[in-house]
Amino acid sequence: MRDLDRPPGRDAPHIVQLLLRVGLAAATVMVTAGLGWALATGRETSLPVGLGALLADAEAPDRLMAGGILVLALTPVARVVALLVLWWRERDWTFVAVGFAVVVVLVAAIVLGHA
Amino acid sequence: MTELSSPALAGLVVLGVAAGWFGALVGIGGGVLVVPALVLGFGVDFPVAVAASLVAVIATSTTAGSVYVGRGLTNMRLAMTLEVATTIGGISGGLVATILPASVLGGVFAALLFVTAFLMLRGASHPAVRIIEPTATGTGWEQPGELAGGYLDLARGGIVRYRARRVPVGAAVSLMAGAASGLLGVGGGFLKVPAMHLGMDIPIKVAAATSNFMIGVTAAASVFIYFARGYVEPLLTAPLVIGVIGGSFAGTRMSGRAQPAVLKLALAGLLLLVAVLMALRSLGAGFDA
Repeated sequence: MRDLDRPPGRDAPHIVQLLLRVGLAAATVMVTAGLGWALATGRETSLPVGLGALLADAEAPDRLMAGGILVLALTPVARVVALLVLWWRERDWTFVAVGFAVVVVLVAAIVLGHA
Repeated sequence: MTELSSPALAGLVVLGVAAGWFGALVGIGGGVLVVPALVLGFGVDFPVAVAASLVAVIATSTTAGSVYVGRGLTNMRLAMTLEVATTIGGISGGLVATILPASVLGGVFAALLFVTAFLMLRGASHPAVRIIEPTATGTGWEQPGELAGGYLDLARGGIVRYRARRVPVGAAVSLMAGAASGLLGVGGGFLKVPAMHLGMDIPIKVAAATSNFMIGVTAAASVFIYFARGYVEPLLTAPLVIGVIGGSFAGTRMSGRAQPAVLKLALAGLLLLVAVLMALRSLGAGFDA
């Protein structure tokens, strides 16, 4: 399979694809293992797990599943940062600025949400 | 806390497969299907359903993104540009939601969906795409420094080049899509795909892939809040996520050969379904947990 008109050195798609696949694979393994563990213990009640309980007093299968969900949620954020770095390396300054704006708004959204 | 029997867990996997498959195919996260199904079909509390739906949206986005980026269908620069608007819209939506009555918001939203569905059905604005190079191999690309690129469309039998037009229109609708996400806990892809396709002359397949790529970021910003507030239930969410990932991979496999007209029809049908649900809800007859 050949790439069409893609300038040499523009490897952002491949790096982003790898990042998404690694995040997805890690999350899938953790969520599936946690679900299997929970079902093996005969659980039929779904309990909420907060970010604090993830590290503290939640049951082990729940922690494993919640950890997988957290990895999944962090994957798109990681790809925003990765693109920012990749476009910086490509000196595509317009989109470095756009990416930086997204990071700023994301941080603001999270801070405002917690407030 | 939600009681889940074995059939219910199996049902969640099936729901996830359906949402992931359709979401990956037409560029939505599946939240518009998952939230009503969880609330109406599984008796899940609304905030817990929204939290599970947001995780499902991220799963669809990540799965479909990992495939479409490799095929060159996703325009990452276009995605990042519109993400500025969606994330700002998300904050605005969250703030407005605390002021306006839900019935008013639902009514406006339903009207917007009816109009968009009508435009999609009419094919009111066909993008000016054309085959440049007849071929059956290769990957797409995006132009550095610009909102333009090309992709291989197997259904059309060649390379289709495109360039984004009327970016402010796309940004304005993306702002509204972000607001809808903040208000209702959905990814907003059902607004972004028509905005890119009809408003910005982006081919429907690139619009769907780019929307899929974007919705993960919008949903991720919200899901941390739901996580922090204790609305994420792992046992409810895990089977949904597993189903979504499987369904999304299946959807991406179909996308390459799907006819653009079929995708438009599917999206218009989904828009009408959600519009009816929203209208019923705003009139007090629909789901309201």
